[in-house]
Amino acid sequence: MLYKILDKNHHKEFLSNLVANVKMVGPKKKDDSCHDFTSIKDVDEIDTAYQKTTIPPAKKILFPSTENLVRFRLGETIESEGLLESSETVLFGINAWDIAGMNFLDRFFSTDFADENYIAKRKALTVIGIDTEPTETNFAHYMDSEYVIEGFDLYFTDLGDRFFVRIATAKGNALLDRFAHIKDIEENDLKDFNKYMNVYRKKFKLEINMKNFLDNFENIYDKKGVWEELAEKCYSCGSCNLVCPTCFCFNVKDDINLDLKTGQKMREWDSCMIPEYGLVAGEHNFRPSKENRLKQRYRCKLITYKEKYGKNSCVGCGRCIEACLAKINIAEDINAIKKEVNV
Amino acid sequence: MGKPKVGIFGITGCGGCQLEILNLEDQLLDLINAVDIVHFTEAITEFSDDYEVALIEGSITTEHDVERIEKIGSIAKIVVAVGSCAVNGGLNCLKNLYGTEKANALVYGDKKEWIDTIDVKPVDAYIQVDHYVRGCPPNRLEIVDVVRSLLVGRNPEIPNYPVCIECKRNGNTCVYELGKTCLGPISRAGCNSRCPNSVSGCEACRGVIDDPNVNAQKDLLAEHGLSVKDIMEQFNLYNACKGKTIEQT
Ligand code: SF4
Ligand code: SF4
Ligand code: SF4
Ligand code: SF4
Ligand code: SF4
Repeated sequence: MLYKILDKNHHKEFLSNLVANVKMVGPKKKDDSCHDFTSIKDVDEIDTAYQKTTIPPAKKILFPSTENLVRFRLGETIESEGLLESSETVLFGINAWDIAGMNFLDRFFSTDFADENYIAKRKALTVIGIDTEPTETNFAHYMDSEYVIEGFDLYFTDLGDRFFVRIATAKGNALLDRFAHIKDIEENDLKDFNKYMNVYRKKFKLEINMKNFLDNFENIYDKKGVWEELAEKCYSCGSCNLVCPTCFCFNVKDDINLDLKTGQKMREWDSCMIPEYGLVAGEHNFRPSKENRLKQRYRCKLITYKEKYGKNSCVGCGRCIEACLAKINIAEDINAIKKEVNV
Repeated sequence: MGKPKVGIFGITGCGGCQLEILNLEDQLLDLINAVDIVHFTEAITEFSDDYEVALIEGSITTEHDVERIEKIGSIAKIVVAVGSCAVNGGLNCLKNLYGTEKANALVYGDKKEWIDTIDVKPVDAYIQVDHYVRGCPPNRLEIVDVVRSLLVGRNPEIPNYPVCIECKRNGNTCVYELGKTCLGPISRAGCNSRCPNSVSGCEACRGVIDDPNVNAQKDLLAEHGLSVKDIMEQFNLYNACKGKTIEQT
């Protein structure tokens, strides 16, 4: 990792150069409640003082909600053609936990089975991170995701009059060379950076007890009543999955056009919280109830990938908490499971 | 095999569903190439009693409607109910809630004897329906999907998950966050979350999913300031037929 300094008075110039020269996606105010990452045409559209984005920026670009995978033509033989869409893009303004979420998806979509559609888009993406204020539902610090050391090309930390720039890749370095007036760091820059991080970490107020959750999850896995109570209000609406930066499940569909000759295979975001997810041949459903499904979601988010990759897939962004109209709250439930065992 | 002959019929409805078919624009020619449309109440003057597939808009609200629907049922091999009125009675069922006699008197006054109005029922109260295209108006792409599924011999996929899924795929801000209410969590998707896409709450015009959490939805609406009466009005707007409301599903 290389460290440099970008003075504040050169910051806008850097962004303007980016907007003028590359395809850029960044945070823009959407309405009274949310920001959204969209294509930036004018540097003044960028609003880095955001807190909430409904859909995680990296997921939106790399694993879009609907995507055509294959085009086919039926005839004597079936002709088919894989569709790979990607274009060089700079993602500016993503925060640490969303980078951590992307790092999970990177790993997921390239291990066991290499997902070419995802990988092509990822290769074409340059990532510039920044810190944002955590919402009240954020617990990224408990998921080691309030600070990241990989996944980005550049990371800008706001030290008041200047940015502390972490450069992680040659691609990031080249971008700075081309578009920014940077200077070398001095000793006090590093000190200020560490001081800043201490203050920043204190902004994450939500407390959760992961250790107790992990120690006790299996014990209460089949305990009657516990999950029924936690899931009572669940609509099985899937919002918690779709807004999650690390939910990767999708459903594949064949669409035939009205000419009955041509068509496409497409995928769309799926959710393990809806009953159809567990529906298999013979109308058998291996997760028929909402309590089964909530339990499975928590296992997937907090345990499965801890065992598999050494790090759980939840990055603590809090989106599922905010999206849930039934007020089902993963942070509270992690703590509740500890209490269950205590009684 | 020749092209299947298709009849498109309007019973009692606003004509909006048939209009959706006409609005297919770039797919309309493909549709006409794929099937032989022999009858189309809203679009062609010729009549035909020779068809295999019937697409039916509207609900059954008069004795005359009953005769028509029974005749269609006796001819068509495959019946598709198109739109809320045909699928579950739709808005028309508000008449049943109000009281058919009372409604007749209110609308037609001293001429009410001229009118043969009866309790509103959906198409499947009279004849067997093979496929349902929900919505008021229905999603025209879904009408196309049903037709091409029939042509290739597979079951059309009609979602049984809530509108919230489509709403999130579309990246919308939930309208609850903007101070509005929405029946999305219990309503059946398939419309591509049409109403929330334009920042309005869903009114369940496609009916509800198989296992809706009605109690949670009631609590949620109450928390957002709706009275019991308001809540029932929302629930009943499109879903008061089949002798049961969202309440009783
Ligand atoms: S937990 Fe909440 S967001 Fe998730 S499916 Fe249930 S109601 Fe929907
Ligand atoms: S499970 Fe919830 S808190 Fe964790 S990463 Fe997903 S959306 Fe964020
Ligand atoms: S199984 Fe559920 S929780 Fe896990 S990635 Fe898929 S949708 Fe998300
Ligand atoms: S706006 Fe309606 S459909 Fe969309 S997420 Fe909110 S409740 Fe669900
Ligand atoms: S959002 Fe709801 S009311 Fe609107 S079209 Fe869809 S199902 Fe009907």
